[in-house]
Amino acid sequence: MIAGVKGLLTTLRWLGKRPLTAHYPEQHLPVQERYMGFPALLTDDTADEPFCTGCMVCVRECPTQCMTAVMHDNPNVAEGTSHRRKIIETFEINLNRCILCGICVDVCALDAIEMSYEHELASFGRAGARADLEILLTLGRRYMEQSAWTPKNPEKNVAAVALAKKAAADAAKAAAAEGASSPAAGADAGGTAEAEGES
Amino acid sequence: MSLELMDVVWVSLWLFTLLNVVAVAALSLVWLERKLLGRMQGRVGPTRVGPFGLLQPIADGIKLLMKEDIAPGSSSRVLFFVAPLLVFVPSYMVWITIPFGRDLFVRNLDLGLFFFVALSVLGIVGLVLAGWSSNSKYAILGGFRSAAQLVSYEIPIIMTILVVAMLAGSLSFHDVVLAQDVVPYAAVQPLAFGVFLLAGLAEVGRTPFDIYHAESEVVGGPFVEYSGAHWAIFFLAEYINTFMVGALGALLFLGGWRWPVGDVPAAAGVALFLFKTYAIVAVIFWVRATYPRMRIDQLMSFGWKVLIPLSFAAFVVTAFQMFYGWPIWMLTLLSLVILVPPIYIQLRWQRTPAMALAKHYAEIAVAVHAQPRPVPVAAVTEAHAAPGTEDDA
Amino acid sequence: MTTERQHDTIDMMLNMGPQHPATHGVFRMVLTLDGERVLDVTPHIGYLHRGSEKLCEGESYGQVVTLFDRIDYIANLNNELAFCRAAERLMSIEVPERAMYIRVILAELNRVASHALFIGTYAIDLGAMTPVMYGFRERERIQNLFEAVTGARMMHNFIRIGGVKEDVPDDFGPRVRQLIGQVREGIEEMDRLLTFNEVYLARTRGVGVIDAATAISVGLTGPSLRGSGVAYDVRKDDPYEIYPYLSYKVPIGENGDCWDRYYVRLQECYESLSMISQCLDQMEAGPTMVQMRRIARPPKGEVYVHSENPRGDIGVYLVSDGTDKPYRLKIRPPSFCNLVGLAPMTRGSYIADAVAILGSLDIVLGEVDR
Repeated sequence: MIAGVKGLLTTLRWLGKRPLTAHYPEQHLPVQERYMGFPALLTDDTADEPFCTGCMVCVRECPTQCMTAVMHDNPNVAEGTSHRRKIIETFEINLNRCILCGICVDVCALDAIEMSYEHELASFGRAGARADLEILLTLGRRYMEQSAWTPKNPEKNVAAVALAKKAAADAAKAAAAEGASSPAAGADAGGTAEAEGES
Repeated sequence: MSLELMDVVWVSLWLFTLLNVVAVAALSLVWLERKLLGRMQGRVGPTRVGPFGLLQPIADGIKLLMKEDIAPGSSSRVLFFVAPLLVFVPSYMVWITIPFGRDLFVRNLDLGLFFFVALSVLGIVGLVLAGWSSNSKYAILGGFRSAAQLVSYEIPIIMTILVVAMLAGSLSFHDVVLAQDVVPYAAVQPLAFGVFLLAGLAEVGRTPFDIYHAESEVVGGPFVEYSGAHWAIFFLAEYINTFMVGALGALLFLGGWRWPVGDVPAAAGVALFLFKTYAIVAVIFWVRATYPRMRIDQLMSFGWKVLIPLSFAAFVVTAFQMFYGWPIWMLTLLSLVILVPPIYIQLRWQRTPAMALAKHYAEIAVAVHAQPRPVPVAAVTEAHAAPGTEDDA
Repeated sequence: MTTERQHDTIDMMLNMGPQHPATHGVFRMVLTLDGERVLDVTPHIGYLHRGSEKLCEGESYGQVVTLFDRIDYIANLNNELAFCRAAERLMSIEVPERAMYIRVILAELNRVASHALFIGTYAIDLGAMTPVMYGFRERERIQNLFEAVTGARMMHNFIRIGGVKEDVPDDFGPRVRQLIGQVREGIEEMDRLLTFNEVYLARTRGVGVIDAATAISVGLTGPSLRGSGVAYDVRKDDPYEIYPYLSYKVPIGENGDCWDRYYVRLQECYESLSMISQCLDQMEAGPTMVQMRRIARPPKGEVYVHSENPRGDIGVYLVSDGTDKPYRLKIRPPSFCNLVGLAPMTRGSYIADAVAILGSLDIVLGEVDR
């Protein structure tokens, strides 16, 4: 009897409390900062190109093999705006297969892919879940803004920083080479001058 | 008595109105249950269909009517079709005698209470027929269970109704309400009220007595093979029955449209009656939210060993009071005294041993004591390190 | 239909088939009935077999962790921990202490979440429809914390070989302490609704009794075994991670009925919450991952490591041939072995009890079928 009455009072007390329901879609519960949504590709604004070079490490490591990627030569290298010799040409993620495990982000050394906050990507067609490069870059752009994203390794990956670093290193090497006075150093200087001319 | 055309038209109009009123009331119960249960569980009920989800029952009804009516191939077609009607029609017919307010009834039968009892038994036949004609094991099990349960729990209902009839001196609903001018019968005979509510719960098939159509066991019991409109009829009949138990409780025990206000305009009386009915129905839903369901043998034990003796005790005590002319409060006192033994038995033989057991478990739980922690090692070790070699921090 | 002629009656065979609201997943129980009494029960499993063990043979060790998330989909972090411990034992890795504390905190939180789900679903099997909502509310709180720490509410992929993926956020300590208080209140609410409720006591006391000797011989582990009075808990008897530095109680029952198994799990929730609080007190700063190669290549060998899942003793048998993918990975799932106890428990009880007994074993079909 007593326990039954206590139980009745417990349920009765809930009539005075606010319900826990979040009325979707009018009310979206915010995701936490570390939330792993669908993967998205990030853009290097200093070179106006994706970070992704198509190295295929993430494609290989994906447990469900949901990604395909093709790389090609980077036209921006010749113009001197980027240090990436290869750049991604096509990239497709089958979002139906992605299990949101985050392994692709863990293995990427180029800061190219991140788990975005996207989780509401339902579409009306079966092929609607195949995200191509354009979609992934758009999602990535949104993620970069939402999370105030900064690269983990800017010296290696951000084009402006990498190019500046390389230029500084080359200048230092040239100065060192010119500073030497021995014939070997002179031959070296010639060698380095040739190398400089090529790069 | 000649049957004039005007009489026939008039009565038909009344019946049609009654049909609609009862149907709307049952649908409102569907809405109320979902909302109330939702709020008690920390969620909202239906909110999308209409304001506050008020049109949800109508949406459910339309959906059910549009579904395909499947009958199992091996079922007996005629019986399969007739069974829902046998459940539904008696539930409706009782409403002919039930007064919603002063002079607001279709027929004030002198044998109103008897009429109610007689018709409610017909519903049982329909359930058993549904279970049998479905030709499915789950349905058969549900049918057997429902037969046993419903027939057993008719007896306490009949006895408590007899108690009310004795106190009021009449079997007519109207007279019973009029007799509760001063004090409602719930205060006079709380024992009968309690027994009536519990037995009513069992008659309707509501938790904790809903084993015969429990989803988690017999997946619907006698209703398991019904779909679409036929199932909608069973569903509606269940809610009409729930409303009826509430209405009966309000009329027989809570003073209907009269207590405590006496003679008021009809609309106010109806409002008061409906308020009492919905209050009882809300309690029924509240119990549904809280209690698990009883097993069939426990249910039968409870019915035969607890409710039936209690109902007979209520009957006998009322008879004594009426014969010896004891004051009314004596009846209340005796009712409460009679309620003490079952409560005591439950506390002494079920709750106390369970609590003692819990206490005992708290004592015999094996305690594991923390070992002293070594100073945390700041160095990280490298994988594949040969034993004996250690890297520096 | 079995035909056993006893007094000219035929035993009825009732199929609680793969589609049934109360069988906790796709599980088929064939009951042989004599009226309402169960004479025998034959479980049929395999409806959720996904070939997990075979899949593991084709995936690298980092990818196997994601598979282990999904084997017992309610106790994800405990499974990740079980596998990572096996791989670490094979590779002779010593995990940094802070990582061990984080792992244990997450594993115990997952245990509470799993038991909250058990209490809720057990209640709704028996007809009480409210505790399940309260239980899932507690799970929501815990899963929100998981989302803040690991990035995912359910399939975390957080506990890695050699430690954890990354350190916990800065507000972890205060947030978890607040969570412990809230979850304790929620579990107490379900406790108040169920434990001494008259109808609940009638449905679970004396139902599905299994004595200690039969339980051990049948292979029960976890709370189902502890309900029969055997105080075997891998955290106590074969301690791992930082469990030796915690003081806690291992609740046991005596009668071996459904109520005891439920009560053991309820008390375990409270014990886990106190363990988490101790971990927070003891945790210190430090590294959360050993320095190791990204691609794990254990040396040739085999290892069997067992841990305490919310459901029992989960064992991982790992055979490595020196490559970066396991050669053979066998899982000893607690639910699968606990299911053998279903038959001795159910013989002689009613049909409604069959549902109650199955619920009290707390099986997860993902684990049973892998």
